[in-house]
Amino acid sequence: MERQSMAVDIACVGFGPAMAGFLTTLSRRLADAEKAPLESSASPGLPLQVVCYERADDASFGVSGVVTRARGLRAGMPGFDASQIPMASPVKDEKVVWLFDHLGASRRSGALKAAEAAMKAARLVAGAAPEAFELPYTPAFLNKHDGFIFSMGQLMQFMSNQVLATGTVQIWPATPVAEALLGGDDGKAVKGVRLVDQGVDKHGSPEGAFMPGMDVLAALTVVADGPVGAVGRQLDRELGLPPGSHGRRDWAVGMKFVVDLPEDTTLQPGTVLHTIGFPEPEIFGFLYVHPDRVASVGIFVPSWLESPVRTSYRYLQHFVQHPYLWRHLQKSKLRSWGAKSILESGRRGEPVLAGDGFARIGESSGTTNVLTNSGVDEAFTSGVQLGEAVIELLEAKRPLTREHLDATYVARRRKSWLESEGRVAERARDGFQEGVLTGLIGTALTGLSGGMLYLGDEPGHPADQVVPLEQFWAERIGPADLAAIRKECEAKGIPLHDAVMDAAGWPAIEHDGNLLVSQQDALLMGGKVQAAPGYADHVVFVRPELCRGCDRKVCFEICSAEAIRPGDGGVPTFDREKCVHCGACLWSCTQRLPGTEEVNLQFRAGTGGLHSAEN
Amino acid sequence: MSGFQIVVLGSIVPDPLQTLEPVSTPQGPGLKNEQMLPAVLDPWAGHALYEAANLAAKTPGSKVTLLSLGPKAKLQQVMMAVAQKVPFELVALDGPAGGFTDSHEVAERLAGAVKALPGLDTSRLLLFGGWESASRGAGVTLQMVGEKLGIAEQFQGVDQIAPQADGSFEVLERVEGGKHQVSRCAGAPAVLGWATGSLPEPKNNPQVGMANMRTVMPALQKAAAAPVTTGGVEFASVALPRVQRETRIVKDVSPDEIAKEIVEWISKE
Amino acid sequence: METILLLTHSEADGSLPKAALEALTAAKTLGGSVTAAVFGGDVDAAAKTLAAAGVAKVLTASGDAFAQPRYATDAAAAAALAKGAGAQIVVAPATSRMARVAAGVAQRLGGRIDTHVTQLVNEGGPAIVRWYYKQRIEATQRRKERPWVLLVDPGAYPAARATGGAAPIEKVEVAPPASRTTVTGVKAPTSGEQTIKPDAKLLFVAGAGWTKKQADGKPNPEKAEKLILGFIRASGASLGSSKSLVDQAGEGQKVFEFMSHLNQVGQTGSTPRHPKGLAACCHGEEPHVVGWRFIRERRAVNLDPNCGWARGKADVLYVADAFVVMEKVNALLGAK
Repeated sequence: MERQSMAVDIACVGFGPAMAGFLTTLSRRLADAEKAPLESSASPGLPLQVVCYERADDASFGVSGVVTRARGLRAGMPGFDASQIPMASPVKDEKVVWLFDHLGASRRSGALKAAEAAMKAARLVAGAAPEAFELPYTPAFLNKHDGFIFSMGQLMQFMSNQVLATGTVQIWPATPVAEALLGGDDGKAVKGVRLVDQGVDKHGSPEGAFMPGMDVLAALTVVADGPVGAVGRQLDRELGLPPGSHGRRDWAVGMKFVVDLPEDTTLQPGTVLHTIGFPEPEIFGFLYVHPDRVASVGIFVPSWLESPVRTSYRYLQHFVQHPYLWRHLQKSKLRSWGAKSILESGRRGEPVLAGDGFARIGESSGTTNVLTNSGVDEAFTSGVQLGEAVIELLEAKRPLTREHLDATYVARRRKSWLESEGRVAERARDGFQEGVLTGLIGTALTGLSGGMLYLGDEPGHPADQVVPLEQFWAERIGPADLAAIRKECEAKGIPLHDAVMDAAGWPAIEHDGNLLVSQQDALLMGGKVQAAPGYADHVVFVRPELCRGCDRKVCFEICSAEAIRPGDGGVPTFDREKCVHCGACLWSCTQRLPGTEEVNLQFRAGTGGLHSAEN
Repeated sequence: MSGFQIVVLGSIVPDPLQTLEPVSTPQGPGLKNEQMLPAVLDPWAGHALYEAANLAAKTPGSKVTLLSLGPKAKLQQVMMAVAQKVPFELVALDGPAGGFTDSHEVAERLAGAVKALPGLDTSRLLLFGGWESASRGAGVTLQMVGEKLGIAEQFQGVDQIAPQADGSFEVLERVEGGKHQVSRCAGAPAVLGWATGSLPEPKNNPQVGMANMRTVMPALQKAAAAPVTTGGVEFASVALPRVQRETRIVKDVSPDEIAKEIVEWISKE
Repeated sequence: METILLLTHSEADGSLPKAALEALTAAKTLGGSVTAAVFGGDVDAAAKTLAAAGVAKVLTASGDAFAQPRYATDAAAAAALAKGAGAQIVVAPATSRMARVAAGVAQRLGGRIDTHVTQLVNEGGPAIVRWYYKQRIEATQRRKERPWVLLVDPGAYPAARATGGAAPIEKVEVAPPASRTTVTGVKAPTSGEQTIKPDAKLLFVAGAGWTKKQADGKPNPEKAEKLILGFIRASGASLGSSKSLVDQAGEGQKVFEFMSHLNQVGQTGSTPRHPKGLAACCHGEEPHVVGWRFIRERRAVNLDPNCGWARGKADVLYVADAFVVMEKVNALLGAK
């Protein structure tokens, strides 16, 4: 069957907060009966044809915390009323909490232990929260006092409904974009997008009702496919990064539960807790309380946690059982689960924002701010900025070239708080390359000095960050024990992290069938993870011999869904029906393809994943 | 003028694997957080729609209309997934689509909407739908709409329709024992309640999607209100059944003894 | 007391479907006397069985025109019988033939219908129990509207026994309407081994563990196939599967020839009704186990003492190697 092609005016890749900002702004203009209609060039006589392709099976299946100051959201959505959005709550009470290690299994440096001792002493004065120290105030750079707690899924559902109801743009779910179509004299112009093939086997070979992915040609392609989106990464590769851009170096994977709190809970809607220190010092956590006794609770496992067996799910299970949190969560019930990668490079990793025929918005364009710990509002704002720019250009009938997009979209972005706050945050986390205490001090210094001061060095490529097993765990587990663990796990074909954590002193998780359940139960009952057949595997190991020789297989340790598993002969297997598209495997692979920034694990665009609308 | 006018009746149900919990509402039983639950087109109605499109493609002059009664906002979401699959026109009614609504009220609304379809020619009408839904799961609505329209050729549990050149068609319906009953019908009008049919799910086709949008969006915007209720049903109780058992865990027992115990258990009446 | 009618068709050979006797038991739970009615080509044996099963009388509608299971003629016969009986509550078995027409018949009687009835109860008036949302929510409900047609699921009640005596059998003349439908035959399934047996006493569910590496580090699908098929044949059990096992066929991995997605239990698969269920090499995760809703007695064999079955989902969990246990089970069954 031949590849078909069609033409629209604006092709959009991905529907998340950034695209919501773009399409809300654009659709408002297109639906405005008082203004001159914007006509299609692709289909003369018809209104502007704007089509958005989202890979997830519904616009409401996204994942995030979310707590946000919502400055851009409120400005970009006149009449914005959070009470219309399920699970939304204004922020009422916010705290930063240091969690002590009550189990003794956590790795803590001498300096950190000393800091903790000081905190424990302070507690005797300040009043004791169980095994925790509550900071007396929330630093200004972090606090969200005038903001909201949202469910990302419900927020996206609300916004996509608003946009669709105007009848002026189309949002197609379950339609991943495989790649951008490049062309032009220098090969750096984007002509449109190509969708993924359907009716293929796991290797991508035609099977049954094969349908090659359609080409959608467009004068403007808006790329908003998120931190691990394939199109954004393709453009980075093909077009190169701007001088001074440090690319995608800082990462974390966020994993969360959404829970029904017990009937007698004392937690109030609008409560925001930011935690540090447990289960490992590198792992930050959060608890946000929605209305109707629902809470989001989760952790972030960063790329600078250099353990080759770093993992999320088990750490999340230990996290929720910390006495400070368990007193609230013990009798709660799991209602949703999800995971996503966070591109923490922010402004420092900014790609080419606009070119001939394309513009980039959202997290993959470097909007996430790790100093303020926010990304949704920033992404949304970048989308609004592009929307305003595109409207300006279309009304003036000026072509959507790099020059014009730079003068309108990029200029708006540079003049806004997105740029200034992004600049401040650039080196906020570099201290963590040295250690957790340095990192925390560095972040505080950066925050309090408006970005003037920072500690630490710029991170290297994430593949090079992971240290050997024996080195990382030396202080807690001897080499002989580690060798035995390796041997046993390899024989059983299972990842190492459980056995390693057991040996390090982490107690076994006792499933209670309510909140503490097996990872697969969390996937199915919480995440409702599903994938339709007929698509190729979207995680591919390019050179099997590199996997065979790999001694730090972080991919199946960090996989949020146990979709990547140890395989025969050292090459991992991949089950696309379990994958939640978090992309943590992408930045955890330790095998660089020689001479490149690329790694052996390719993470492509695919369908399926989470089917929960509550994350 | 040949070709069939195929009207497919079907609505939305919660996406599979969602956690369903009954709650009491002023309108009767409902699902907890019903508006938040992601929805899909009922799977059997979906099969009916794809079979309708397949039949229409084989029979020149045919047309497929999807008639759907459901909450407008949720229909809109579901249409973005379904509209990429096959060509059809949408007629939407804005009302509740939960499983606890009374099928008789729904049938009344749907029959009225069918009769009001512009250009309806009952001599060419094929009424398709799922043999039951994944919500109410009763298998009665389609049948009653057919009755109200005076159609006495009805088939349930259909897996195949084979049109013949003279306008007649052969139908396979599921019967007991994993078998199919084969019938020949002289022609439209007829009602077909589909089981799974024999077609694979159509691929997502952006061109089909864009073409469908021309009628889908306006149809949603002008959807007439259809406030169906629980009708004459009095619900004495609506609950999730208790499922916890006291599991006896048998460890450190020889396989021989286990096998013996299992065989004894199987053989007991 | 409301008039209760047990309404059914006969089989091609004139006998009574077993499901009709089950529906009769259900009808009797409402108390009071039950009239029966049967339609079809030949109804003699069916009418006699009903007459001896403790009904007040039996109405019949028969003739060549009513031999074929089709809507127009069946609906006419059924409606005529129901009207003739003046029934306020009509109880019918949910055979494919009755399910095709019952709602239309209710419509013609100016009444209401509820289907997939698993229980009839009498709480200050007749009420029914049925499931919603693919057997996930159970409701007890009643209606005041009459006539009320109830389609009772097969297997929900035991078949009514003969009570001795013979109620009067009365033929009702029904003018057959014209029908444009002709039944031309019945097609049997083409697949070889019939592994799905809804009437079996036992459901055997095979999980993905059958294709995993065994104690010697290698998978052994040939042995697995032999053991599974051997057990099915020796025990007469129906074969079910977890989703992960049948999904393996899509990965190009070896899956068993006798298995397809139709065997899948739970998730998007079926919710079977066998009295007993045995799961082997299956982890017992919740979405699969939801499909076990109607399996009364449940046991599982799994090497993992922390699998889902251990936590309240099974009556007994045998922590053992299913390959070894099932081999011994098959040997014992073979020796019987």
